[in-house]
Amino acid sequence: MNVWQLVKVHRGTALVLALLSLSASLLLAALPRGYERAYDDAVHGMLGDVSAQVTDLAVTGRPIVPQALLNHPADFRNRYEEIAQGLPPQLRRVVVPLGQGTSHYSAKTTGTPVSGRVGGSSRSNQYVDFAWLPDATARVKWVKGRPPGASSTLARLPGRPDLRDLTVIEIGLLAEVVDEMGIDVGQSLVLGNSYPVVAKVTGLYELTDAADPYWEHNGEVTRIVERPIPGSTDTEWLTAGLISDDGLTRLDERREVSYWWVYGVDRGRVEAATAPAIITEVDDYQRFLGDLSGGMGNPLELRFQLWTGLNRVLGDFLVVLRTAETLLYLLLGGLAVVSLGVLALAVQLLTERMRTGLSLVRARGASLGQVVRAGVAVVALAVLPAALAGYGLSYLVPGPATPLAHVVPVVVALTTLLFAAGRLALAHRRPLKDTRSDLVSVRPSPRRIALEFLVVLLGVGGAYLLRTRGVATEAQELGADPFLVLAPAGLALAAGILTLRLYPLPLKLFTRLAGRRPGAVSFLGLTLAARSRGGAALPVLILLPALAVSVFGALVSGAIGDTQSRAAWRDVGAQARIERAAEIPEDVVAKVEALPGVTSVVRAGKGNVQVGVGGMRATVLSIDLKDYRELVAGSPLTVPDPPRGLGVPALVSTTLVPYKEIEVGWHTRMTIRNMGRLDELPGLSFPGENLIVMPFDGPKRAGLRTYTNILLVDGDVDRATLERTVGLADAEIETYTTALADIRDTPLTGAITVAFTVATLAMGAYALIAVIVALVIGSADRAKALSFLRTLGLSQQQARTLTVLEVAPLIVLTAVAGLALGLVLPLVVGPGLDLSSFAGLAVTDFPVTFTTPALLAAALTAVSILGAFAHATAGRRVTTALRVGESS
Amino acid sequence: MTTLSDLEAQAARRAPAFGEHAHILCDNLVRIYKTEGVEVVALQGLDLLIEKGELIAIVGASGSGKSTLLNVLSGLDVPTAGLARVAGMDLLSMTAKDRLRYRRSVVGFIWQQTARNLLPYLTARENVLLPMKLAGRKATPGRADDLLELLGVADCAPRRPGQMSGGEQQRVAIAVALANNPEVILADEPTGELDSDTSEEVFGALRRANRELGVTAVIVTHDPLVSEQVDRTVGIRDGRTSSETLRRTSEDGDVIAEEYAVLDRVGRLQLPRDFMNALEMERRVRLELERDHIGVWPAGAGEENGE
Repeated sequence: MNVWQLVKVHRGTALVLALLSLSASLLLAALPRGYERAYDDAVHGMLGDVSAQVTDLAVTGRPIVPQALLNHPADFRNRYEEIAQGLPPQLRRVVVPLGQGTSHYSAKTTGTPVSGRVGGSSRSNQYVDFAWLPDATARVKWVKGRPPGASSTLARLPGRPDLRDLTVIEIGLLAEVVDEMGIDVGQSLVLGNSYPVVAKVTGLYELTDAADPYWEHNGEVTRIVERPIPGSTDTEWLTAGLISDDGLTRLDERREVSYWWVYGVDRGRVEAATAPAIITEVDDYQRFLGDLSGGMGNPLELRFQLWTGLNRVLGDFLVVLRTAETLLYLLLGGLAVVSLGVLALAVQLLTERMRTGLSLVRARGASLGQVVRAGVAVVALAVLPAALAGYGLSYLVPGPATPLAHVVPVVVALTTLLFAAGRLALAHRRPLKDTRSDLVSVRPSPRRIALEFLVVLLGVGGAYLLRTRGVATEAQELGADPFLVLAPAGLALAAGILTLRLYPLPLKLFTRLAGRRPGAVSFLGLTLAARSRGGAALPVLILLPALAVSVFGALVSGAIGDTQSRAAWRDVGAQARIERAAEIPEDVVAKVEALPGVTSVVRAGKGNVQVGVGGMRATVLSIDLKDYRELVAGSPLTVPDPPRGLGVPALVSTTLVPYKEIEVGWHTRMTIRNMGRLDELPGLSFPGENLIVMPFDGPKRAGLRTYTNILLVDGDVDRATLERTVGLADAEIETYTTALADIRDTPLTGAITVAFTVATLAMGAYALIAVIVALVIGSADRAKALSFLRTLGLSQQQARTLTVLEVAPLIVLTAVAGLALGLVLPLVVGPGLDLSSFAGLAVTDFPVTFTTPALLAAALTAVSILGAFAHATAGRRVTTALRVGESS
Repeated sequence: MTTLSDLEAQAARRAPAFGEHAHILCDNLVRIYKTEGVEVVALQGLDLLIEKGELIAIVGASGSGKSTLLNVLSGLDVPTAGLARVAGMDLLSMTAKDRLRYRRSVVGFIWQQTARNLLPYLTARENVLLPMKLAGRKATPGRADDLLELLGVADCAPRRPGQMSGGEQQRVAIAVALANNPEVILADEPTGELDSDTSEEVFGALRRANRELGVTAVIVTHDPLVSEQVDRTVGIRDGRTSSETLRRTSEDGDVIAEEYAVLDRVGRLQLPRDFMNALEMERRVRLELERDHIGVWPAGAGEENGE
């Protein structure tokens, strides 16, 4: 048999099959790519949010014995290469070579006190360390003096007769030391209490680029840390200075010196797919370094240690990733099932079209193998090039190819061919089927009923188990829980079977009702619908999961959206919040109130106070809760009733509830009367901290005046306008819009939203195609029935209505079942999905909103029925094929 | 006295089997269609013998089992019980492979619907070549053309079915059926969709194939034009052969047709329905053996006779 001729004869159907195959292959290959890219963007974003110090691999070595001291830059370079030898493959891939990015080496001392100054009055509590940073030379600008040079020796130190022949190391310091630590060029500092050395300040520098990530590793030379000494009221200052290569030779084991080899990680090269490998490799590398330093006969005599937060950051990322992956796998799975179903329908159409020819060939002496081979070859000619083209087109979608992107199109194409082979083999197993058209199957076989019962039982049981046991908790080790994806699939199959088995029941009722009405069309249509059960299975199995996944997607998106909004409200506490440590001047308040778009402003005062005489501290807020409640009306925030009473009434948090009266020192000493409990005011206080909320005029009641350092703004006004209007550099301004954007604009959240949209659209299109293809498959029989009815006087319009009525009940009932399944899915899958990373808050429940899902169901139903209508209208020529009697 | 060994010898010395030398043999053939509880008995113990090279017609009312018989004979359907043998091949015990070989080289057939016999997208020649290719034989266009010429449709060779008349299509279909040199051709109402002139051509083609190629031909038909021109017409009623009409040409050239009732191997006989109706025969009849015939009387009439 000439296969090409068969394809040419059935070119229309083959084209439909090819287009479906192309779209399925493209979708299923492109989506994983898109996902993977979003994952990569997410991991880059997450790594970009932390400093280079966290992401890079920093190896330190402490010389324990004098032999281990490294005195020459060449020694460092050699060690750098030696230590890099042990880098496992994935880490080696992401590490940038020495001299690029943040890869470098250095030697630094720690905790070196300034014990005195040569020829000058000393200041206490100062620390200056030495830092040998060969790569810093190009990154600083000397603003005074000169860079440090060769070391020398000081024979004696004035005022310290016990110290002789002190080493003098030249040092350059940050320009700010002049003001903050009183050190200037030309001064010499005595560093260290025991075995002191002298550091001679030769120059002051500024950083040429403070944002260079190189400095994140060497923060000590870029700033002067001023911090309170624990347990004392005094302050200490810490900084470090740059020394020359010659200075390095003078740093010995007595100087608390440690050597650093930093392997900069190129965050752009870290991929989501390799994250788990990188995490284990960090551990491996740590072990390698342990072996290197702990081994007997270690020639280096250095104790190496790895400092990195890369594994921790990636671990956090993986937790987020697993949730996203589960959601997207769920979508991809649904899409794969639906596209396979549509492909199967198209294959069915093609094999039905070829049936007459092939059965003739079979009767004329073709073996089953010959028939199946010819049929499959036709299907393959339609499917394979198209699938390949779709797969090729998927390369246009940016993103790395995952195994999934390669495997899924192949699986889809092969399954299609297998389905075709199976159908052909079944249809042509015997040259003539062992049935007669005048005999109808009365009831399904017991074996089939038992099988269907088992599937339903497994589907429901799986869902129940998932609901009760939750998902595997160790997502990081186990990857995405496959059960989470399988259980919904099982449930969808169960729902499909139940729909197929149960849908004749309501139909019977409708048919009986329609039978009593005068018109014959509705009765005939419903009767035809009740009879068309055999061919109904595939469209049901396509429509149902399509709608279920769409509804589920809408619910998840809705839940994420709601929670994002709630999280943003909780962050800000109003449409906009202006907060400042100091008081906000009256004229600024007036200017904000006068801004166009601002509808109301609530003033509040906030402070951090000591409660009573104990060490307990609390956040105190003065705000008019009644006004505030009006301000946030309609938002997810709830505001309690204002405290009432004499004196200064207040609501307090749980820990303060036992006290009837609380004395605080805020602006003045005042006694607060405890009038009730309030643990948190979102946006204004943090959960867990002690809280006292008094009326806005609380301080006034205590004998002072009102204070305002927070403005809560309602109305439509953007952050830039507020910043311009307020004009105070130290005022912190947050708006709901920007807070929401911060939460929403993460790559993974975007990916999920896009994926849901794409999947919903694709499934809608597939559902439409499924209905039309199913109608086309049955069109010959329908045409025969309609032609007969038309000879009896059925009008064209009535014939059209009849066709629509024939498919509408199944579509409507399937849509209802799909809607129900979609609404149930979040309940089943919900406990296993941690959406907090997308929503900014834990998503506690899925609000069952009917609007979007019902709209989706209605839209899908309408589209499908419209498809039926379009088919009925276009099929006019077919319905009049017999041309018996009238024509219209 | 008969001994056990005598009996054994008697059993071994079988009488010639029923229709042992017939080309097509159906003995007590039963075909039951069964679909979960509903049974339709299409053939209920049909007997039929056809000699090699015969051209016979099978007639019968709609639903009498004609088409089922033809499907069984063509190897497309398997009988439920009984014996069916064509050209020495037992149709009940054939494996799938045998069946395929049988269809490829022993039988050829023609359906009623002209369109169903030919692949619409192949030319007449290609259609004839198709069975040869399917059977894995060397497809020689010369043989296809010879066949088409024999059947009078040589000019149709490069045409597709859509470009031929119904009669031409059926004649090409006969050529297709003859492609692999079958011993038997079966035709299911080959002239059913044709007018009388065209029917004449198609039947003529069948008869030519029968005469010139020596193929046994079995034609199921309603068409008197066909059934009245064959040597033997077998009537089927309710899944059994009920009557046979034999035709011979008398010395003065007239065709004499004699209708017989069929007596099966166990002596069952179907009386024509109108005979039974005329004498109001019901349930029981009385038989009387005369010297050269058997008399059949209605039960009531016989009883009177007996008195």
